[in-house]
Amino acid sequence: MAGRGDGSPKRVRPEELTAESPLTLPGFFAALSDGRLLGGRCDECEQAFVPPRPACYACGSREIAVEEQPREGTIVADTEVARPAPAFAADAPLTIAVIELDSGARLTGRVAADYEAVEIGTPVELTVRELTDREKEFALDHEGEWPLHVFEPA
Amino acid sequence: MPEPVILSVGASPVGESELTGRDLFSVALAEAFADLPDPAEIVDALYVGNQSESYEHQIMYGTLLAEWAGLRHTPAERVEGCAAAGALALRHAVRDVRSGECDVVLACGVEKMTAGGTAGATDALSAAFDRALEQRSGITAPSQYALLAKRYCHETGASEEDLARVAVKNHANATKNPRAQYQSEIDAETVLDSSYVARPLKLFDCAPVSDGAAVVVVASAEAAETLVDSEETVRASGVGAGSNNLAVAERDLTFVEGAHRAATQAYEEAGIEASEIDIAEVHDAFTVCEPLLAEAVGFAPRGTGVQCALDPGDRSDGWSDVQVSSSGGLKARGHPIGATGLYQAVEAYEQLTGRAGDRQVEDAERALLVNEGGVADAVTVAHVLEVA
Ligand SMILES: [Zn+2]
Repeated sequence: MAGRGDGSPKRVRPEELTAESPLTLPGFFAALSDGRLLGGRCDECEQAFVPPRPACYACGSREIAVEEQPREGTIVADTEVARPAPAFAADAPLTIAVIELDSGARLTGRVAADYEAVEIGTPVELTVRELTDREKEFALDHEGEWPLHVFEPA
Repeated sequence: MPEPVILSVGASPVGESELTGRDLFSVALAEAFADLPDPAEIVDALYVGNQSESYEHQIMYGTLLAEWAGLRHTPAERVEGCAAAGALALRHAVRDVRSGECDVVLACGVEKMTAGGTAGATDALSAAFDRALEQRSGITAPSQYALLAKRYCHETGASEEDLARVAVKNHANATKNPRAQYQSEIDAETVLDSSYVARPLKLFDCAPVSDGAAVVVVASAEAAETLVDSEETVRASGVGAGSNNLAVAERDLTFVEGAHRAATQAYEEAGIEASEIDIAEVHDAFTVCEPLLAEAVGFAPRGTGVQCALDPGDRSDGWSDVQVSSSGGLKARGHPIGATGLYQAVEAYEQLTGRAGDRQVEDAERALLVNEGGVADAVTVAHVLEVA
């Protein structure tokens, strides 16, 4: 199957790497638009990562299964961005955090809460939204329809 | 294997300059070649560390600087690795000499960061982050390092005041460095009273936006003998380099693994231990970097890195006697991104040849340079330099 969503670990073949494959960014964001956060899981060492990619960063194996990630996670580190990139200036200050999902995968994302309202260890839950018009202005042509992941305190 | 040495260096003052990147390079080249033949007579290759074309809308910096040095037809290329570009250029030069393919190679770095103002620098630096998840979340360079600082303080009990003392120390060192961007001392209150850029980091925790260029002349010991006295040379005895995940979230937030690996490789090549290093220039783009790197490269036990701000005699057991950032570091000497790794080499060269003036570290014989690109150790290059 082109989407490789069956979770079976095997090396990816060139013809599988289409814009529908979750091992490519268009495929990853298409799934995210449907509300599914996909990650990779290494068949050798069990490392989980988001987005999925064709090789494991922990051990180098290319036997990667694609799996839907849990929406729940925990704040590992957080900060308040006083002066964010221009696309987000209207929303400043931003709370941004490193999140560890319950699968062990870690990713950086916005937290829809004041900096004072969260801390290291705060449980959070994934939400997904479309880009605002302002954010779309700063998106590259191929990114305009890609949604944004935002965490909320659980 | 030919032994690579540094036989001369040059660097422009660091700060906001009216000069463009190529002009700043000319300043550095003129200093480096003041007592040498024309580059055209001796140079076999040229590498240029340069972070971003967005500042000056100029790529092809290898070709351009070769031309400005009178090196038409010489192989020349720009090296890209964000803030590690300078040390990557130096590494290429060292390896070209080691291989026997070249006798003399120029490692150059140039950045004209002020060209686009603070907003331009913020945008250009954010290009070093993962586009898919990091950039699109609105994160900035200070906030990436703020995540590291937040976690570091959480795990070690270090305070914002502890981090402030790193800035105080580096500003004090910079007052003795005529090339430094900041020539004034500050106290911890100045840092603590400055506004938050990304909590817990404040304005004075951050290296500035800088213009600058530096040139380091690398040669085989044999070729150097024909050009300068041996006491004017410094041995490039160890090199290490490596990458880590682009996204910070996927790395160890409180142990800079890439720097540990690069430094370990450089020590092994040089046949020395971390404890034998007398001076170090590390990548203190933000105050938290210096303690993190002190621990990663083996100067300090885990969790005690903030003692880098203290005089060696006042540090706890297990700490080496190393002097860190005698130049003032990125924090106060300034941080012209693609040139920074070469400013580190310039400082070590001047220290090891006894030319560091008021900031001379007594009996300095071995230096460690740690230059990083992306956020923290996305790419790291370490060099060990030793007196000849
Ligand atoms: Zn693995």
